Amino acid sequence: MSATVTAPSAHQIRPDRKQVKDTKTMFYRLLQYISLAFYLIFLGFPLLWLISASFKSSAELNSLTVSLIPQDFHLGNFPDAFEKQGLISSAGNSLFVALLTTLLVILISLPGAYALARFKGKIRAFGTGWILVSQVFPVILIIIPLFMILKTVGLVDNLWGLVLVYTTYTMPFALWMLQGYVASIPVDLEEAGAIDGASRLKVLITIVFPLLKPGLIATAMFSFVSAWNEFFFALVLIQSPENYTLPITLKMFVGGEGKVALGPLAAGAVLATIPSVIFFAVLQRKLAGGMLAGAVKG
Amino acid sequence: MKFRAKGVIGLAAVAALSLAACSSGDGGGGDKSPSGSEKPSEPITMKFQSLSDQPGAIAATEEIVAAWNKENPDTQVEIVPAGWDGVYDKLVTQFTGGAAPDIIHYETASIIPFAEDGYIADLSDYLSDDVKKDIDQGIWDSVTVNDEIIAVPTELQSYMVFANKGILDEAGVEIPTGDTMAWDELRAIAKATTTDSTFGLGWGLKSPTATFMSLGLGFDGTYFEGTGPDAQIKIGAGELEVPKRIGEMAFDDKSIDPVSLTQSGSEVLASFYAGNVALTVQGSFQGANMAKDAPADLDWIALPPLAGTVSAAQSANPQTLSVNIDSEYVEQAAEFVNFFAGGENMAKLNLADALIPASNSARESIATETKGADGWDQILASGQHLTSAPFLFATSYSQWKDTVATPAFQKFLAQQIDLDALGKELEAGWEQVNR
Repeated sequence: MSATVTAPSAHQIRPDRKQVKDTKTMFYRLLQYISLAFYLIFLGFPLLWLISASFKSSAELNSLTVSLIPQDFHLGNFPDAFEKQGLISSAGNSLFVALLTTLLVILISLPGAYALARFKGKIRAFGTGWILVSQVFPVILIIIPLFMILKTVGLVDNLWGLVLVYTTYTMPFALWMLQGYVASIPVDLEEAGAIDGASRLKVLITIVFPLLKPGLIATAMFSFVSAWNEFFFALVLIQSPENYTLPITLKMFVGGEGKVALGPLAAGAVLATIPSVIFFAVLQRKLAGGMLAGAVKG
Repeated sequence: MKFRAKGVIGLAAVAALSLAACSSGDGGGGDKSPSGSEKPSEPITMKFQSLSDQPGAIAATEEIVAAWNKENPDTQVEIVPAGWDGVYDKLVTQFTGGAAPDIIHYETASIIPFAEDGYIADLSDYLSDDVKKDIDQGIWDSVTVNDEIIAVPTELQSYMVFANKGILDEAGVEIPTGDTMAWDELRAIAKATTTDSTFGLGWGLKSPTATFMSLGLGFDGTYFEGTGPDAQIKIGAGELEVPKRIGEMAFDDKSIDPVSLTQSGSEVLASFYAGNVALTVQGSFQGANMAKDAPADLDWIALPPLAGTVSAAQSANPQTLSVNIDSEYVEQAAEFVNFFAGGENMAKLNLADALIPASNSARESIATETKGADGWDQILASGQHLTSAPFLFATSYSQWKDTVATPAFQKFLAQQIDLDALGKELEAGWEQVNR
């Protein structure tokens, strides 16, 4: 006697498979959200801790009791940071220097990066090699000659001088970064545009630049943050308190003999993060948009 | 489609920087002859780079400078505030670039290399008798390089033992009242106050070198002989006595909180405030922080200065005022330094900074004003034992301290090496650094 095995119909199979697939998808999505939540907490915790510290009194900061929520919100750190150390004017100086540096770096490195990416030959090899070599110079090695050059041209203790230095110092890496983005754009697209009768300028404006937008945004972010956070050049080149940038002013809270005004320092640091956060929030949306645009066209 | 790059923008600028490294400046040392000793015919303005960082000290500095400016309309002083962080590199660049301020606030250990390189004016002939007499010779020695006084000491700090009186009383410990306190007494108190929940001593030795070397003077541990590039290291029993005693307390008696050995002094304060440690060794300036931050119910006191088998000596590394040798107004700048270092001004500044005045008159003035409150009696007493330390005059000391001594002391405190190996590492490291 043989048993008759009836194969399940396709109708019977489909709901099970779909159900399993849905369950799997939900599980993976949940896992993703949990991971993302942990990652966000991990990333955001220092900022939360900083904000919390800025509202703690000196006594609470020096106690063993650790809490994210300050015991009694101490507001004195902010006036201390803003009034006594001139933090607002320093933030203005930093913003001026960082924005101008970003603009100059983008304007100068864009054509350079395009040339580096598209030009094949010994000059390109030399150029890219030199960019890498320039990155290995320790700051301490170049600071004295740099100081003398700027002194000669009257740009010591001058924010424009600082912009010049930051632009020079940031540009090699920005150039390197941007030329990678240019290189990733297929030359075929430009050639197709040229065959269709577009001039070189039109090819650049209508084809290359839109595809390059994510690269430009990323480079701008890098340039801004480099200039915003830079300490050593500003320390040496800026002499007058009215020209101090934010990192210099913040370092004034760290005194000799290990003295640190922790509360005002935290309050100042909170202020220091705000422009960066705004700058990133604005550019990040464009970065995402630019990536999508590139994906479709590429 | 192939495009030719005409050049790489930006490389020219970097190349210019690199080429400029070969250039030389017009400023700097070498010329020891003080310039600008003539009276200027027109009002002048001198720059005074101040490192005052505490709000009270900043205000005191401004007050002193305002008083000078009022009395001396023809020789005005402009304060240029600067932070301690990175100031050495800033000064290196300023001196090399010929743009250093006229009057420089710094500390002995860091200003000596500039003096050795010829950037600092000799103040010997400019200092008033009042200022000279008011400061002990041991402290003057700490700012004398090649028989030249290269700075006027203003304020100092010592290492002090602060105690939680409540814990000491509870443990039945008799509070030391002598002029000094022997290390054996410290050990006995730390042992007596160590319980299941409390360590006798919390000592922030994250960066132990300065502490070990300063307190080593009490055991005649000078670490170095000779000065400048010829200085020779000397590691004997005296030099190793402080690490040995701390090691015994930490690992044999277990009376030192082991966590504190990896912390900074300020970090240990939290344990002290919480009553987790009975004693803590801190820079004397922490007395002012304790007065401000310690819980109201914490009865804290400063104990007498720690004494080794030889003395209670500690190294004097005072904050200082120097004059740039390339200043156009060396004489006027020195006059300002004389004014600034006056007893009344120093008392005002030191009280605000919670540091020990270099001058005796300022010490007396603070003693009268504070009546010994907030540990000032013992803090001022410890100032009498501060003296010049040979290691400040060894040319490669700073490099040896960072690259050899601190890691070696840290390894000893982590029990990775013993006392013999520590001594050998310190010696071998010096030979390497001072080649």
